[in-house]
Amino acid sequence: MIDTMHYDLSTLWNTCLGEIEQEVTKGNFSTWFKNTTITKEEEGIIYIGVPNEFVREWMVTKYQKVILKTLVNHIDNIRGVEFVISRFTPPTTTTTTDSLFTEKTQLPMQDLYINRDDNLNPRYTFDRFIVGSFNELAYAASQAVVKRPQSAYNPLFIYGESGLGKTHLIQAIGNEIKKAFPEKHVLYTSLEKFMNEFVTSVQNNRQQSFREKFRKIDVLIIDDIQFISGKDGTQNELFHLFNTLYEQGKNIIFSSDKHPNHILGLEDRLKTRFNAGMTIDIQEPDMESRLAIIREKAATLPYPLDNEVLQYISSVATGSIRELEGILNVIAMHSEMRQKPVALSEIKLLIKNSVKPKKMVSFDTVVKLVSGYYNLDERTIYEKTRRKEIVRARQVIMFVLREDFNESYPSIGSKLGGKDHSTVIHSYEKIKSELVHNPSLMKEIEDIRILFK
Amino acid sequence: MKARCTVEKIKQAVSLAERMTGKNLTLPSLHGLLINASGKSLKIRATNLNVGIEIDIPATIEEEGIVLVKGDLLSNVCGNLKDNLELSLTLEADNLTIATLQSKTVLKCLNHDDFPTLPTVEGESFEIKSTVFQEGIRSVYFSAAITEIKPEIASIFIYSEDTNLCFVATDSFRLAEKKLKVKNIPDIPKILIPYKNIADILKVLDNAPENLQLTFTRNQLSLSGNGIYFTTRLIDGAFPQYQLIIPKTETTKVVLMKQELISTLRLSTIFADKFFQVLFSVSPVNKRITIDSKNNDVGSSVSSIDAVVEGEGIEVSFNLKYFLDVFQALSGDSVSISFTAPNKPIVVRSVQDTSFLYLIMPTNR
Repeated sequence: MIDTMHYDLSTLWNTCLGEIEQEVTKGNFSTWFKNTTITKEEEGIIYIGVPNEFVREWMVTKYQKVILKTLVNHIDNIRGVEFVISRFTPPTTTTTTDSLFTEKTQLPMQDLYINRDDNLNPRYTFDRFIVGSFNELAYAASQAVVKRPQSAYNPLFIYGESGLGKTHLIQAIGNEIKKAFPEKHVLYTSLEKFMNEFVTSVQNNRQQSFREKFRKIDVLIIDDIQFISGKDGTQNELFHLFNTLYEQGKNIIFSSDKHPNHILGLEDRLKTRFNAGMTIDIQEPDMESRLAIIREKAATLPYPLDNEVLQYISSVATGSIRELEGILNVIAMHSEMRQKPVALSEIKLLIKNSVKPKKMVSFDTVVKLVSGYYNLDERTIYEKTRRKEIVRARQVIMFVLREDFNESYPSIGSKLGGKDHSTVIHSYEKIKSELVHNPSLMKEIEDIRILFK
Repeated sequence: MKARCTVEKIKQAVSLAERMTGKNLTLPSLHGLLINASGKSLKIRATNLNVGIEIDIPATIEEEGIVLVKGDLLSNVCGNLKDNLELSLTLEADNLTIATLQSKTVLKCLNHDDFPTLPTVEGESFEIKSTVFQEGIRSVYFSAAITEIKPEIASIFIYSEDTNLCFVATDSFRLAEKKLKVKNIPDIPKILIPYKNIADILKVLDNAPENLQLTFTRNQLSLSGNGIYFTTRLIDGAFPQYQLIIPKTETTKVVLMKQELISTLRLSTIFADKFFQVLFSVSPVNKRITIDSKNNDVGSSVSSIDAVVEGEGIEVSFNLKYFLDVFQALSGDSVSISFTAPNKPIVVRSVQDTSFLYLIMPTNR
């Protein structure tokens, strides 16, 4: 028998349920025992949480004895069983109830009021922004703008690939400024919205009110400015708006997927203006940052993912953070469906399609590309040599074949000059473990993967 | 078991109780109706673990006993008997014989050991007229959210305020509130009845005696009186503090005839877009309101109604469906609509009856 103090109550209950299941009929078990938990144990009384009064009533009349008998077999000093109604939610809906809890303090109708004036989404804050080496500069500049709006970082121009958190960052600036300086008039808009509004104002002959609206803004945030390319009328309007705001020392923040100089069809006078303040790029996150981001996001999942899994995801899901989120969502859905954590091997299968381009690359091509990448003659790979650079290239080939193309160990071995399958396994494991510590190797593998695309 | 009663009584009781059998549950006995013959009555019980009901009907009991039969089966059998006959129930082994002068049916029985007892609610209790309770629910229930994600708004919220019993429902796009005077009510902080159970409650109230005893705890509510005991699960959650969103001020108030408004809105429905969005413009100068609706595929319509207008002119667009819903709960022949700002909710009331309030959120144009 085990001491109650050290016994995990949910494991205890699961064991008991297993035994009770044998004693009652299937229908009875699923009707009455589904969604029950042990909520607490106090002074020898076990409190069992049941979903509603109907179940409680019937448990008391019919099953109290059976439950007590089963519990006594597992723990000492138990005097009785009580039933309480608890808001038990099956694991499938954990996330939704969580979100409900946070929303509870809020009025549901408030969503509709939110940000009619400034379009900002209050969810985007600095607290929720994960900083890594890839975006710390952009983050620091954003912080500076919030703390000293009159600083030199005006306009602030943030650019980077899609899904790296530009929108989050610029909206966070808006939200923080609003918090710090409530009197400031902040406006967030996407370029497309700006353009539509401008076009409508031209159509309805209300340009004056359009200009007035934008010219009284203290902090103007425009997202996805790159879409301005080729829109001459909008460029012209933006140019004048920019000048007016800039002269008055108002803050202007842009985001784009390209450097201003690389936006096609952007007038020079705008290019120079965009470049006048601070132009910062957000890079793709490195392995550690990805890991940190995944950790952060995985913490909200109903089933915790172990380290190995997290590292695997961070090593395969290179590129945008949105993609990472997508992968985690897939995993979350699967674990919810099965109500248990998903194993690494399953995860590999699950996300194979979402991360890797399914493309047929022949064995020879892999050897050719990798040896080419390492500046080696293709034939040397097949030779029986232990020269360091060749061994390395060969191991990388094995790793890539296994990881990306799912070749079997023996077939890899036989094709690479009759190597034993255990040699291949060793090479694969070696590269895999090294990847975690060695960013330059990671970079190499990434470069090689690009070659396959 | 051996018992006799009138067909009329058992027919009524069975058809009401049969609604509440657990049709989709894994436990087969919950598909049944439990008939308990004891003392001077037959007690018919059903539950689907969301609601439960027990109905007493007067009967002559010759031999006491309990039997469980499939609900739909019994209801079909009883439904086809003539009202003015007398009926006898006899249980022999596993067969229940239902006999009248004209017919005799034998039903297979289920094992009644697994059929649960209904929870007895022990909590605050007060007496309420069933018509009042029904009016309160009927006035608001159409506004409740039909979602499983937010159980607290997929329900009707009932609380007390001085001598009023307040009924509220919202799906976060519109809100209905009805306040009714009830004598001697205790302090009721919160009763949240799940929307799913409302249809059953209304049905019970249709068949209920004039006065009902309402008892509630945090998780359970019961209605009882004159042979009926009904109980429903409640939702243990917090209803949003809706008072905060009811506008305190108004800049524009419009009073107009209800029937005229209904027919104008019906016309606008034809031309509403897929979001049922219409534009309401109030013109204090012309003393009229104009309703614009436009659907690019069908056409457009502009209609105006003469109205008494107080305050400034304003334009608000909102979902027509929400507006049309309110008329089922709005008594009297004239309607007042109050506006505060284009992005603030509008308030609809009946001019004659101040107990009801309806709020509609504007749509984003």
